[in-house]
Amino acid sequence: MRTPTANLLLWFLGLLPSAIFLVTSTETEWSSTAASLNTLGRLTGIAGLSFFLVAAMLSSRVPGFDRKFGGLTKLWFTHHQLAAVSFLLLLTHPLLLAFSGMTVSIDAGMSVLFPGSNPAPALIGWLALVVMMIFLAPSFAFFGEPRYQRWKFLHKLAGVALVLALIHSFMLARQIHFLWQSILWSLYTGLALLAMLFRWGFSKRSWFKRHGQLRYQVVGASKPLSNVVELELQSQPQQARLAYEAGQFIYFTPFDNQLAAGYAEEHPYTISSAPEEANLRIAVKDLGDSSRALQSIQIGSLVRVEGPYGAFFPSGDCTESELWIAGGIGITPFLSRARHLAAKAGKVDVHCILCVQDEARALYHDELKNIADRLPGFVLTMHYFYREGAINTAFLQGHCPDFMGRSCYVCGPPPMLGCVQGILRSSGVPSKRIHTEEFNLL
Amino acid sequence: MKKLCFSAFIAFWSSIATMVAIHALAGQEQPTAVDGATYTPQEIAEHASQDDCWMAIEGKVYDFTDYLSRHPAGPGTMLSWCGREATEGMRTKGYGPDHSDFAWQQMQEYLIGNVE
Repeated sequence: MRTPTANLLLWFLGLLPSAIFLVTSTETEWSSTAASLNTLGRLTGIAGLSFFLVAAMLSSRVPGFDRKFGGLTKLWFTHHQLAAVSFLLLLTHPLLLAFSGMTVSIDAGMSVLFPGSNPAPALIGWLALVVMMIFLAPSFAFFGEPRYQRWKFLHKLAGVALVLALIHSFMLARQIHFLWQSILWSLYTGLALLAMLFRWGFSKRSWFKRHGQLRYQVVGASKPLSNVVELELQSQPQQARLAYEAGQFIYFTPFDNQLAAGYAEEHPYTISSAPEEANLRIAVKDLGDSSRALQSIQIGSLVRVEGPYGAFFPSGDCTESELWIAGGIGITPFLSRARHLAAKAGKVDVHCILCVQDEARALYHDELKNIADRLPGFVLTMHYFYREGAINTAFLQGHCPDFMGRSCYVCGPPPMLGCVQGILRSSGVPSKRIHTEEFNLL
Repeated sequence: MKKLCFSAFIAFWSSIATMVAIHALAGQEQPTAVDGATYTPQEIAEHASQDDCWMAIEGKVYDFTDYLSRHPAGPGTMLSWCGREATEGMRTKGYGPDHSDFAWQQMQEYLIGNVE
């Protein structure tokens, strides 16, 4: 299945219960302003819950599954969009129902929101909505940019909100026949539960041998820059090594109790080693408390690795001409691919542009230069911000005149990504040939 | 998307606060006065059709003729209760759960008197 089709399928799943609602609605439900507002209120409730359930299905990180959707970061983006649509619909849901009551009287409107008799269903609905607001507040930066660990902790409340929303729906829903409604919500809930079960059960048992969660040991650490460490990880005896492709990333959990911060905390890092290497390598830049602590992790300490995730590069060999544009630590996925291509020593047509502030921060320059010197078809161009300013069309045309005909891969900080994507699009590079990878709390 | 969600979040609580404030300022509304009109069960029983439907609910008489076609579950649901005591229908919907507070409020529009 192609990526756009797979993503469309998710939106279709989200819309299906609303379509059934509309098909089964009767003329009387649209016969007056009050009736229409009431019907729309119930419709937004059903649509909001179904988008919430589809977003929950995507909350599981099943290694390999994300490839169908263009990689885990793209899948997270869809998850984020589905949750946003669900949130907007569920905010509208009680308001429309109350407005419907207001057409009769103020008391009637308020009794929809805060019923005096049989208050349980509405109360549970309120609880679900308030819990949803709490766990989504960091995701949508309601009160400023969140800390990663706090965001992860609060996000676990999503399960509570979902269960409350389902109870609320079962107590009140009457639009779709009860049997069909039960089947529909059970199916959606079952899929979401399966995803979560995998997350908490199967992946921990390493049933997937070379995927899922694996134990590794830190056996080496090098410092390509003062604020970047490249960790070398060795798999545990009698345990399979992680199978991955260049450009993919892992979730990494250190268990070094001497760490100043981040003990047993999970963070995503890009793999920098080539898939054929015996040991796994990741490059970590000092960007926060945990990544700062990792700069001095103890050799010999144990870590947990989960993955691989991502689909930055296509699977298989390098068969087309490629343009790589990397900003700072964004060189990591390219480094993995460059090491892989160098190991295979096959025919390549790659132009790599590494954008850094100055020569002192030219991360992995020497190794990439070495690869460029011995691998025909591999060209390295350095872009220094202090000398050239932000990268622009003239720079690209000057150093890689045929860039418009290449498949373009871009990885770096968000401002650079935005800038390069703008240049490529305005130069006529089709969107399907522009591939980006960014690691952000969306 | 972040800005849109935050705006909706603020708009939501503003709307709720406005409704609560209006409700508090307006005070309790009383059911429509019906000038002490009373009807016997026999009189109510004369209005037992889709074109002329009265019901007795908890000692009060309602003329639901105009509402029948607007019932969310269709006019047939209410028809069997026309012309008679219908408290059970209102309280159980015929299978258990009570009607919502909203439905009870909405019903007051159709109040025409008390059962004698």
